Amino acid sequence: MSLLLAFLLGAAAGDDPFAAILAKLRETAAKSVVAIDVERESDPDGITGSGAVSQHRDYYNRPKGPTSGVIYEADGIILTSRFNVSGGIRKNGIKVTLWDGRQLPGELLGTDEQRDIALVKIDAKELPVLPRADASAIGQGTFVALLGRSPDRSNPTVNLGILSATSRMHKTAVQTDAEMNYGNAGGALLTLKGELVGVACNIKPDTVWGQSGGVGFACKIAEIDALLPRLKKGEKIEAEKRPFLGIRAGEGNPDVEGIQVADVIKDSPAEKAGIKKEDVLVELAGVKITDSESLKEALEPRKIGEEIELKVMRKGKDGWQEKAFKLKLEGRAEP
Amino acid sequence: MNAFLALTILLSQEAELQKIQELQKNLRDVVEKVKPAYVFFGNGSGVCISSDGWALTNFHVSGDRQGQRVRMPGGKQFLADIVGFDPLGDISLCKLRDAKDLPFCELGDSDALQVGQHVIAVGNPFLLGNGSWEPTITFGIVSALHRYMDNPGYFDAIQTDAQINPGNSGGPLITLDGKVVGINGRIDIKRFMNRVNTGIGYAIPSRQIQRYMEAFKRGGRVFEGFIDGIQIGECGDNRYDNVGEYGDGVFVARVDADTPGGKAGFEPGDIIFDVEGYRIGNANRFHGVVSNWPEGATVKVKVRRKAEEKELKVFLGDPAKILERKRALEATDLGFVQGAGLKVGAVQPGGAGAKAGLKEGDVLTRVDGRRVGSWTEFRALLRPNAELTLTLTREGKDVELTLKVPRPKSDE
Repeated sequence: MSLLLAFLLGAAAGDDPFAAILAKLRETAAKSVVAIDVERESDPDGITGSGAVSQHRDYYNRPKGPTSGVIYEADGIILTSRFNVSGGIRKNGIKVTLWDGRQLPGELLGTDEQRDIALVKIDAKELPVLPRADASAIGQGTFVALLGRSPDRSNPTVNLGILSATSRMHKTAVQTDAEMNYGNAGGALLTLKGELVGVACNIKPDTVWGQSGGVGFACKIAEIDALLPRLKKGEKIEAEKRPFLGIRAGEGNPDVEGIQVADVIKDSPAEKAGIKKEDVLVELAGVKITDSESLKEALEPRKIGEEIELKVMRKGKDGWQEKAFKLKLEGRAEP
Repeated sequence: MNAFLALTILLSQEAELQKIQELQKNLRDVVEKVKPAYVFFGNGSGVCISSDGWALTNFHVSGDRQGQRVRMPGGKQFLADIVGFDPLGDISLCKLRDAKDLPFCELGDSDALQVGQHVIAVGNPFLLGNGSWEPTITFGIVSALHRYMDNPGYFDAIQTDAQINPGNSGGPLITLDGKVVGINGRIDIKRFMNRVNTGIGYAIPSRQIQRYMEAFKRGGRVFEGFIDGIQIGECGDNRYDNVGEYGDGVFVARVDADTPGGKAGFEPGDIIFDVEGYRIGNANRFHGVVSNWPEGATVKVKVRRKAEEKELKVFLGDPAKILERKRALEATDLGFVQGAGLKVGAVQPGGAGAKAGLKEGDVLTRVDGRRVGSWTEFRALLRPNAELTLTLTREGKDVELTLKVPRPKSDE
C-alpha cells in the first residue's frame, strides 16, 4: 500500500489505477477538506512532560500543527473531531483554512462527546460539499481514502485503505485501515469516487494501544445528520449513559455456567436488589449469561430505568439454588 | 456547481475506476466468503477450517486449556477444546464442540505466494469486534517470505503489511482466492509504545500447518523436526577449509554414528543445498525448512559431496526422545482398546479402564458432563492423576463411571 502512496507523492499516475484516482481526489474532493488551527491556553495542570501514567489531557500533549475538518454544508458548516477543538481554547482561537488559502475565524457550535464530533461555523457561502456515499453500497473491503489537511494547510494528505468494519463504537462509526494520525483526525473518509463515508474521529491517544496502527474510526454521516440540528444550536451533547447493574464480573464457576459475581458495588441496582458476592448470574431479561461478553450483550439493548429480571444461582446448605430478582437499571457514562 | 465539476473530472477517470472496481469486487467477495469462518477466540482470533469445527489459532492465544468459550461472527457460541498444539511454532488445532455445517475456509498453498501479492487479514484487533461480533478486515501485500525468527519459532514466516495488531493473533491471512495461507501471529512491536504502526506482521505458513496436521489431530504437544546427530556450519565460514561460499547451503561439520543423521548417510564435509525441493541458502533457512515438518517425519535431503550430488532420506527428531514421549503417553494408557466410533474395545484386566468398571461395547458420550465427539477429543481431556466422570451408554442406558487417570510411570 505504501508503494501506491509513493506513486502518489510523485504525482505521476503511471500504470497504477489507484495513483490516478487518488491524485484526482487530491485535486477535487480535497477542496471540501479544511485545516483547523486552535490556540489553547497553556496546560491548566502545568504538566507537559510525558509519562506512562499522566493526568494531563492529550490535546496538550499532541504534536503541534493543524488538524482537519470537512465542509458539511455550503454555507460554512464544518464538521471535525471533537478532540481537535477541546481543551481551554483562547477567545477567537479557532481558525479554519480553506483549499484556496482563505483563513477564516471559526466559531465552535455543538459537540457530541460519544461520537467525538464537533461543528465549527465559518462565515462563508457556496463552499464545495462532498457527495454522500450510499451506506448500503459500501461494506467491509470497500476501498476508501482518508483526506486530511495537515501538517501543510495547502497540501492535503491522502491515505488509502479499506473499510475494515461497519459496526463500531455502538454502531456509530466505521473502522478503516487507512492510516489515521492526529493531523488527519477530523478529515474526510471517502470512497474512491469521492463520496463522503464519514468524518475521521475517535483518535484515542489515551490508550497505549493508540489508533494509528491501521485502526481508525470515522463517524457515519447518518449519525451526523441525525444530530445536525442540535449541533447547529450549539448543544454540547454528553456521552450517552449505558445501563448499569453494579456488579464486578469474575470468572466462570466450574459448577454452574454463568458469571460469578466478584463484587457488588455499593448503592448500585444489584446491591439494592439483593445480589450477593459469589452469586452466579445465569440469566438477564430472558437472555442466558455464559460469560462477561454475553452479559454486556444482554445489557446493551435494555433501557435505563427499565425493570428487568435477573436470575442467579446461589450456593446454600442444600447446594445450588436458583433465585430470581427484579432490579431497576440505572445509567452510567462509560468509563 | 462544484459538484458538477467534480463529477465531470471523475468521469474522465472511468478506466481507472473500472480496474479498481474489479479488484474491489474480488476483495468484497472474498470478505463475504471468509468472514463467516472467522472465530473470536478469547483475546485473539482463530479460523474454522472444516464444517465439523476444526479450527486453527496461535498457541499464545489458546494455551492448552480445554472448553474455552469462542464465538463466530454474529455471536454464536461454541466451546473449543485444544487438541494438538505446538508452543514453539505458535499453532494450536482446536475442535469446536457440537459443531456441524459450520462455514469454513480451506487452507491454501503458501509456497505459491509471491512478494507483492494482495492479502487480507481477518482479526479482532483491540477486541473491537466484541459485542457486534463483526471481525476487522485489513488489506495489504505479502512483504516478504521465509522470515526467520526464534522464540517463538517463526522459522519460515510470511511478512505482511496488512495491519496486524494485538487481537489479530491466530486469525487467518487470506489470498484473494479466499484461501488461508497463514495464521497471523507476531508483530514487530519495538515501536509499539510509541503508538506507531510498523506495518510489519508475521504469519505461520499454511504448508507448514498442513504438514503438522496429522500430528495435531493425534493430539497433545507436537515438536518441530530437526536432523539429529549432525552438526552444521554456514558455508563459507573462514574457520574451515573447503566449505563453499556463503549461500551455497550449509556444510556438515560432524556426524555422530547411531543417530538419524549418521544412519541417513551424512558425511563430514557434505554441503546440504536442498531439502524436499526447497533451496537451502544458509543455516537459518536450513533450520526454517526442516522445522516445516514435525518430528517423526522423513524428508529427502540433497547434499553435494566433492563432485557428486546425493539424495539422503532422513528421519527427523531424536528417536530416544520420541520414544520417551510415547512412553509417557502410554503411561496414561487406560487399559482398553478403542473400538469403532466411541465404542470401547477390549478391556485389559487390572488397567485403569477395568478399575473404573468399563466394559467392552460401552459407548462413551460425555466426560465430566461435556459431550465428546471423538477419541482425540477424549484424549485431549486426559491429564495424569485426573479423576474424570465418564458417561457411557451400556445396553441402551446411561452409566456413569469414575476414571482415575494413572500417574505416568517412571522411565525404567
